[in-house]
Amino acid sequence: MTLRPFGDAAFLLELEQRIDPAVMGRARAIADAWEVRGMGPAIPAYASVVLTFDLRHTSWADARALASAFAETPPDVPPAAAGRLIEIPTLYEGPDLADAAARSGMTTDELIAAHSGEVYLAFFLGFMPGLAYCGMLDPRIDAPRLETPRARVPAGSVGIANGQTVVYPFDSPGGWRLIGRTSLVMFDPRRDPAALIAPGDRVRFVPQ
Amino acid sequence: MMHILIPGLRATVQDHGRAAAARSGVPASGPADPTAFRAALDLVGCATDAAAVEVIGLPFAFVCDDRRIVAATGRDVRLRTRGRVPGWTSVLARAGETVLVEGSAATRYAYVAVSGGLALDPMLGSRSTYLPAALGPLPRPLVAGDDLPLGPSTAGPDAAGRRIAAPDYRRTVRAIVGPHDARFQRDDVDGFFAGRHEVLADSDRMGVRLGGTDLHAPEGELLSCGIVAGAVQVPRSGAPIVLLADHQTTGGYPIIATVIGADLGIVAQAGPGEYLRFSRVTPEDAARSD
Repeated sequence: MTLRPFGDAAFLLELEQRIDPAVMGRARAIADAWEVRGMGPAIPAYASVVLTFDLRHTSWADARALASAFAETPPDVPPAAAGRLIEIPTLYEGPDLADAAARSGMTTDELIAAHSGEVYLAFFLGFMPGLAYCGMLDPRIDAPRLETPRARVPAGSVGIANGQTVVYPFDSPGGWRLIGRTSLVMFDPRRDPAALIAPGDRVRFVPQ
Repeated sequence: MMHILIPGLRATVQDHGRAAAARSGVPASGPADPTAFRAALDLVGCATDAAAVEVIGLPFAFVCDDRRIVAATGRDVRLRTRGRVPGWTSVLARAGETVLVEGSAATRYAYVAVSGGLALDPMLGSRSTYLPAALGPLPRPLVAGDDLPLGPSTAGPDAAGRRIAAPDYRRTVRAIVGPHDARFQRDDVDGFFAGRHEVLADSDRMGVRLGGTDLHAPEGELLSCGIVAGAVQVPRSGAPIVLLADHQTTGGYPIIATVIGADLGIVAQAGPGEYLRFSRVTPEDAARSD
């Protein structure tokens, strides 16, 4: 693990740089241990954790000492409790569906079967409120992001790219290949929890 | 009540932000210029978790229905009640007295605090407004006629007349190298700190876009990681972006340097056509300077 300063009130702790549920589990365990100690919010991602602290309460030296201790002796990863199974009713009518199928040498029905036949793991949330990065995608239907991102992707769009699949919770610009959409509200600040999908949940897309 | 008379171009309710919601992908929000925001709260006797108004595009005017201590801060901001008062000063506003906040062409963000603070119920742990996802107890820009509830004011008339020194907004910005500096060519890292960077017009609360010094974006994939305000991202175009309050919680662009918290306001307040310079400091230097 490498530990690097990230400004004057955070550290970036990098684990093995690969997309792997075991690595993500370790990143999450470090984030939890940091927050449990009351240091400040931590942000786990694929293979890293950002550890933030408040300079009014914690000195740089004390924060670095704890972050270094985590880097040398990572906290135990609790046995992965099976996350909830979240089902996403999906209308497979996205603007990139035909193109994605053609790229994969499949019919659209075969691509839909491949996408909906998998139970995905929610890795972490980022990019916008409630957007969960889920994987891994069937390698046969994998594709890079669009060369030119769309200026506007409607909320509820289901996209695939880079080995993963996501649902856009809000209208936004975006470069994922859109194969379908759902009417589920992915993020509602009046709901508790606000995000429909939590890291560690299992996610299945159900064709409508 | 704080009754809004002139709402500015875009005024929103902000507090310290919702950093604790980052793991749900929720941007922290909060003030673009935290130094000016905290000074405004301090001047009116509010705790650091209180809420105030951030204004883009002065003038802004309001009236309170009881006697309050008020303050306006930001870059080149002043206030007018019975007479003209400099910014960064606490002022007694009588019940029903119009308070006008004015700036200049150099003003980008102004903060208007009222003793007692804005008494709105937090959403996801904060009263801050995040407009792209309509988050916050008042998830829209203020309009003329809005009535914002205020908490009980403990500050008396003797609290007026206090000053806090405004920062020098033309100062060089202090930044810590990295965390991804090893991915850049050494010349680009040195060039970033040696050069001057023009602030581009499409800068906003999400980030300040810099032109004029294109860097070589590193080759190869970078797995998305969590990010903090002040991070200087270098997208494939090579034109850096300094991230501000409304930045996304994670990102996949390499970060060449990170502005220290005390200097975020200097970046936020820089207007289109102005130039920013960055000086390289260590975290230990930054801690000593505060």
